[in-house]
Amino acid sequence: MFCTNCGSPVQDNANFCTACGSAMQHAPVQPPPRAPEPPPAPGGVETACPWCAAEIDASRLSCPRCGATLQAPPVRSASGWIELPGRKDMAKLQFGDSFCQIEGLYVPVADVNLGGSDSIYFTHHILLWKDPQVNITTMPLAAGWKRMFAGLPLIMTQAHGPGHIAFSRDAPGEMIALPLQPGEEVDVREHLFMLATNNVAYDWFSTNVWYTTQSGNDNETHYPVGMFMDRFSAPQAPGLLLLHAAGNVLVRDLAPGQTILVKPTALIFKDPSVQMQLHFEHPRSGFSMWGNWTNRYYWLRLWGPGRVAIQSVFDRMEGENRNLSSCSSATEQRW
Amino acid sequence: MTDATQPAEPLERIQCQWCQGMNQKTALTCHTCGAPLDIRNLVSESGWREAPRLRDMTEFQFSSSTCQVEGEIVPVAEIHLGANDSVFFEHHIMLWKDDNVPLTVLQLPGGLKRAFAGMPFIISVATGPGRIAFSRDATGEVVVLPLHPGMELDVREHAFLLASHQIDYSFVRVKGLTNILFGGQGMFMDRFVTTNSPGLVLLHGYGNVFERKLKVGESIMVEPGAFLYKDSTVTMEVEFQRLGTGFFGGANMSLARMTGPGRIGIQSMYVHHHTE
Repeated sequence: MFCTNCGSPVQDNANFCTACGSAMQHAPVQPPPRAPEPPPAPGGVETACPWCAAEIDASRLSCPRCGATLQAPPVRSASGWIELPGRKDMAKLQFGDSFCQIEGLYVPVADVNLGGSDSIYFTHHILLWKDPQVNITTMPLAAGWKRMFAGLPLIMTQAHGPGHIAFSRDAPGEMIALPLQPGEEVDVREHLFMLATNNVAYDWFSTNVWYTTQSGNDNETHYPVGMFMDRFSAPQAPGLLLLHAAGNVLVRDLAPGQTILVKPTALIFKDPSVQMQLHFEHPRSGFSMWGNWTNRYYWLRLWGPGRVAIQSVFDRMEGENRNLSSCSSATEQRW
Repeated sequence: MTDATQPAEPLERIQCQWCQGMNQKTALTCHTCGAPLDIRNLVSESGWREAPRLRDMTEFQFSSSTCQVEGEIVPVAEIHLGANDSVFFEHHIMLWKDDNVPLTVLQLPGGLKRAFAGMPFIISVATGPGRIAFSRDATGEVVVLPLHPGMELDVREHAFLLASHQIDYSFVRVKGLTNILFGGQGMFMDRFVTTNSPGLVLLHGYGNVFERKLKVGESIMVEPGAFLYKDSTVTMEVEFQRLGTGFFGGANMSLARMTGPGRIGIQSMYVHHHTE
């Protein structure tokens, strides 16, 4: 150990520092971890999870539906963004007869223990490991060939219980558990989806957010939030949706008519009631000869009411420095 | 002179649950692998144990050298080499060194057949006394694996940070073991074998690292990008699962069937270093 006063190395059991003479503080011996509390009698105090609003036992340390820690209040920035709730390593969620344990803190792994009658679907390239007896099959998707991922057709794969199967993505970030209640819907930017329970319906729609750029005779169309957006809903029974975002995740609720500008590639998910549109911003420049230059910022304008979530690591957009020739409906600001 | 009537103080030792090294009962970290001894192991219900999260600035020893692991997001392994101790490593992961630490090249049979990022694949050797430090290029964990005589370890290519000189190094090519996104070109696997004395291998796993002990005949299917290391007693066979989408053809998914007995380590993030 080291002296807290002068930083010199000292013997672990020394009472005084040999270099400066100050008394050494020994950390008190930690008492052994207390045995887990016995489960409370039925009819105990109920509370609502601040993240997913599930009704849960007030004595629980984490929400069994979304894994959020219940001991700390939500962390809210002065501007109103709420951080994804903390999660203890190895936190466990439950859905149907199945459990999902989220392991690791840098690039978390979703380790699913599927019950005999449960199944989930996922995009095939995120599989990490599985028990040999867990059967995987492809899921028929209407017009699935329209969707591509890294040059390969997007394939939705199903896994059937019983057994263990685990998933992870390839970026440091956070796992987001979104329990969906019957009738609830959420729109997710493409390629952020990890897995969903089989009772979650999956559909997609055109984002209709695009711009074309021109360079010589080359015309290119760009889709800053993707050509399609995934929409997940729980038509009859409650379901669970797991997403993975890069970096840290921030969520906020927009009031009706409230708008906010976000980087298009930072968007993770939104309520279907939230509308989106392009916004261009031109900073004032002293050089008039730059009049035709493409110095502008690209934003995605989000309109309330509804919930939106962003991630702190996001990709650069393509074509940002080229000449814009046309775009979907957009607002503009020249400073 | 010892008093025969006085009972000798009982020899209390704590065994490290990661490397099985014995430590004094007052130790807070294992002196052989740096694992914290005062916190509970994190084991998932499916049996994976999280690699010990080394406390920042943890130190541990091997032969007459010391290793200190610095930082937590992209950790640095800093080696203080004793005289005549040496370590070998891939040259592009050196972070800094004392200028008087000599560097030589390990002679490898077949090394010219293997290239990394357009450069020939070279294993370099640093010999003490002096300091040299290493880090890889993305978020992850340093995995400390002390090896005892008779142990053999297979490691995915470009995953090892360094190994001490008591360890023999070779590599084999495994066909078909590549992530579906990168074509089926296969990859190399580094093989570390201890000679007569114990040695040390340090790996860098991307994301989080988990280890599981497979029983005899127990097997598990692992995505090739997740495989990090295994005992050589664990067999690995590549199996293809056809993901057909009717008449659009579909894709093949390759999974590695790992069968015990032995340890298998996986990483949760896949950073692809292209094999040429």
